[in-house]
Amino acid sequence: MQYSEKVLQHFMNPQNVGKMEHPDSTATEGSPACGDQVTIYLKVDEASKVIEDVKFLSYGCASNIATASIVTEMAKGKTLDEAKKITWRDAMEALDGLPPVKAHCSVLAADTLQTAISNYEIAHGLKEVPNFSKETIIEELKKIIYPQVGEDIITLKMVKYVGFDNGEVLIDLNIMSFDQYRENVAEEIREHLEKYPEVKNIQINFPS
Amino acid sequence: MNEQIYMDNCVTTPLAPEVLEAMQPYFSKEFWYPASFVSTGEATSSAVQEFKEIIAKAINAHEEELTFTSGGTLANNIALKGLAMAHSKKGRHIIVSLVDYPDLLTHAAYFEKMGFDLTYLESDELGYVSPDKLRAAVRPDTILFMSTMVNHVVGTIQPITEYAKVLSEQDHKIFFHVDGAQAFGKMPLDMQALGMDTFSISAHKIHGPQGVGALWVKNGTRVSPYVHGVKRFDSLQPGGLSLAGIAGFAKAVELVYADLDGNIRELRELSDYLLQELEKNIDYIELNGPRGEGRVCHNINVSIDYIEGESMAMMLDRKGITVATGSACASQGLKPSYVLMAMGKNHVQSHGSMKFTLSRYNTKEQIDYAGAELKIITERLRQLSPLYNAIKQQQEK
Repeated sequence: MQYSEKVLQHFMNPQNVGKMEHPDSTATEGSPACGDQVTIYLKVDEASKVIEDVKFLSYGCASNIATASIVTEMAKGKTLDEAKKITWRDAMEALDGLPPVKAHCSVLAADTLQTAISNYEIAHGLKEVPNFSKETIIEELKKIIYPQVGEDIITLKMVKYVGFDNGEVLIDLNIMSFDQYRENVAEEIREHLEKYPEVKNIQINFPS
Repeated sequence: MNEQIYMDNCVTTPLAPEVLEAMQPYFSKEFWYPASFVSTGEATSSAVQEFKEIIAKAINAHEEELTFTSGGTLANNIALKGLAMAHSKKGRHIIVSLVDYPDLLTHAAYFEKMGFDLTYLESDELGYVSPDKLRAAVRPDTILFMSTMVNHVVGTIQPITEYAKVLSEQDHKIFFHVDGAQAFGKMPLDMQALGMDTFSISAHKIHGPQGVGALWVKNGTRVSPYVHGVKRFDSLQPGGLSLAGIAGFAKAVELVYADLDGNIRELRELSDYLLQELEKNIDYIELNGPRGEGRVCHNINVSIDYIEGESMAMMLDRKGITVATGSACASQGLKPSYVLMAMGKNHVQSHGSMKFTLSRYNTKEQIDYAGAELKIITERLRQLSPLYNAIKQQQEK
């Protein structure tokens, strides 16, 4: 596994580090159990909707720190609408790539930024709290990376079925029992969906 | 400091210069394979014999009990598959522990696939697997128990002689294989007294060359051949072997065993010093595994709370210091150290674990430097850490 020079630069000298006092919005994603957690703080100009300042905290590996650093760099000075377009693929590209097994780190950083923006918009009446539906689940699954190739499981067509009924999530995954990343993927799906109060139970099925 | 500081000696060790010198003739003019009746082959035969005697003497083995192999893993394969195959008619039950070396645990998984019944013993919070657990697990159809003498992650020394006693108290024979790679050269080993049937060792863990090891098989123990081919050196590992490797192996043993007690004492002093410095300079740090004599002399494994191990290891690497971590992020399989998890540590403790394994080439000055760098790195990463910030905030309240 090899990191690019850009990743090492941002890892050794991360930008926008630290806790922000009185932020206009904040979000935390990930969990210590999975080995990575990112918090992003935003200061937003209410009139122009420009992100005036952004800071982050990260518990995680080198690529976790580097992706949080680059994502905050990318968001700084942008309007909320511009910053909403920043994806994990943009973050990865800006870092000259990440090893496939580390791609999920860029998802975490980009995702945290998006949640912080969304939290701001909801708090300021710019948007409604979105309704939870099957589409929400699919959007979350697009953030789950299959570590062997560094692509998300929707793009890789690993999701065979998604169902949502009365709090019950049912997902069929096309990952074989001998796959070393099967448990990682399942664990990450749970982590992404359990945060929604609408989700009561998650059942993930694999081919027998 | 401009030099490379290597503190990952449980993986492999730097080759001793004397070892390289001892190997050199066998790369060039003395290349012959052992054979009778021809002077060239005779010369090699007697050289290999001498090398074997040196190694046998060091561990109080009979020379004919040793088989050279192309490494510790192959020695484990020959012993484990060989014992299971030779004795499977007498029973299908095999015992291992959850904290054993991957060589043993992958064998356990393989044996299960082959229809054997496996029992996995649990360790305590220090990585110690009690002989009572073994006693409770043995059954009339148990044929094999495998164990790792010194734990490869936390350095816990397992009670091999007590295991052997438990096994000898049974009405039937239970074969006992021990992986000795981390114990060899780090503690006195007496093959006649320890009470196992087979024992594997490796050269490159003691400043010998990579790609050569040995299997000790107690006289009279039946082991089915697992590797097949033409007999050159030993019947259990047929085919060619590295003559230079064997020569280097013997030299490495000579060097360590010239003063084994002195070597052990020095390594333990260095390890104690490292631990003392880490505990003095870094807060929220804890030792994983036992403290003192229950631990092998060259291993220090600590968990540094609220920060992640790959980051620490990478930052140390940028300073020329090589160490290991049990963090999931540093593993290709994205799994935390299974040994630490089996010891009851939580994810954060495993992700924040750092393993230092020392050798006789490490110095106090290197430890001072590495300790000082780790202190700086810990402070930097904790400034970044939401977990550490949360703890600090709580304390201020």
